[in-house]
Amino acid sequence: MSFAEERIFAVGEINALVREMLEGEFPAVAIAGEVSNLRVPSSGHVYFKLKDATAQIAAVCFRADARRLDFELEDGAQVIARGNLTLYDAQGSYQLVARMLEPAGRGDLERALRLLVARLREEGLFDPARKRPLPRFPKRLAVVTSSTGAAVRDILSTIARRFPCVEVLMVPVQVQGEAAPAQIVRALDAITALGNVDVVILGRGGGSIEDLSAFNDEGVARAIHRCGAPVISAVGHETDVTVADFVADVRAATPTMAAEIAVPERAEVLARIAGLERTAGARLAMRVDVARRRVGAFTKSYALGQVRGQIEHAMQRLDHASHRAARAAGDAVANRKARVDGLEGRLSGLNPRDVLRRGYAVCIDAAQGRALTRATDAIRAGNVHLLFHDGAARANVLGAAETHAPAKEASK
Amino acid sequence: MTDQALTFEAAMARLEEIVADLESGKLSLEESLQKFEEGIALGKTCREFLDRADVRIRTLTVSQNGDATEEDATDDE
Repeated sequence: MSFAEERIFAVGEINALVREMLEGEFPAVAIAGEVSNLRVPSSGHVYFKLKDATAQIAAVCFRADARRLDFELEDGAQVIARGNLTLYDAQGSYQLVARMLEPAGRGDLERALRLLVARLREEGLFDPARKRPLPRFPKRLAVVTSSTGAAVRDILSTIARRFPCVEVLMVPVQVQGEAAPAQIVRALDAITALGNVDVVILGRGGGSIEDLSAFNDEGVARAIHRCGAPVISAVGHETDVTVADFVADVRAATPTMAAEIAVPERAEVLARIAGLERTAGARLAMRVDVARRRVGAFTKSYALGQVRGQIEHAMQRLDHASHRAARAAGDAVANRKARVDGLEGRLSGLNPRDVLRRGYAVCIDAAQGRALTRATDAIRAGNVHLLFHDGAARANVLGAAETHAPAKEASK
Repeated sequence: MTDQALTFEAAMARLEEIVADLESGKLSLEESLQKFEEGIALGKTCREFLDRADVRIRTLTVSQNGDATEEDATDDE
């Protein structure tokens, strides 16, 4: 190379060329290091150095990106910075433009968590098909959470308001810290051992900033999975779903919502009962109507005065039965008079044919068309008609027989 | 049947079953009456259960080795 061919650059020119190379070669890098020399001038851009034991690199995080940081950036922080390399013309120094910053180690945790989630999913722990249905009306409900947080108060007050006729078994545990996962596991296993808990609410404490790692613990996930009662998780924040939420049979966004899912509203249940009783009453009344129309047809077809007397007697007995039913209804629905209004009236004409259906028959003197009420009369008459619920039969009375009823009495 | 012998859930389920039977229209009048009376009695049982006013609270303490002790805690809420 001769001097004649030597190319002489202007400073700006060489910087521009180097910048092109840098930007072309390193459009996206992730660099781990310690933050030092942190400065935030009024522009809002964040300037710092990333360093390790022997080297350092200048870095900038522009205001728009800095605003998205979800942790406190400070000198000494170990971070992973993601962005691109460029050259700062004015100083001829190269720098990292950090677009994203995260605390070092967080990535490892997230990776580990992703692996755990993938593994448990593979094993079927999150399978929707194995989610257990919640009981409609739990008798005994266990609450596994911190005894001091807001969660336990929210859950208790919600249950007291909605469905106080339930027993709550409090199982206090630490929800954060090293002991938390083991305590939660022991609590869930103890509940399984009891065997008399219908549903479990597993909640965090309810503080604003909480470490949720206990609810991302594999042991806790497995304890939820093998728990003898369905588990409602009230752990995750809106944005932060935990492994416990995935495994739980039902996930609730807050402890209050968990309680609302666990127990029905008392007023709604009462309304449901009233509705059922109303339907039962209406259906019975309809049934009575049908029977009554059939009786009408029946009595007309046997236009026999004395028989009518027998039927009236049977009707009286049925009246008594229907009165009993109406009174039962009246007892239970004392405050709902309007609802049973008319029911009693409609019940009063119960079907005598049903008396016949139960095994009775009316015996009529064939010659005189008179209902017979004594065996001796029947023997004397000889030719009789027997009225069954579905028609009449001609019969000859052969003579006296041993009576059945007293025989029954005697055998008792 | 007393409510000790029958859980609330079972009583509700039976009541619903009875009403479904009545709605089927397949019962004789006698059966309808019996079911109706049973239904009314169940409704009464359920209401009595729901009238219970206070949440019963108990505490389960679980030791390091997994031993669990249950005790009444209704008063120290």
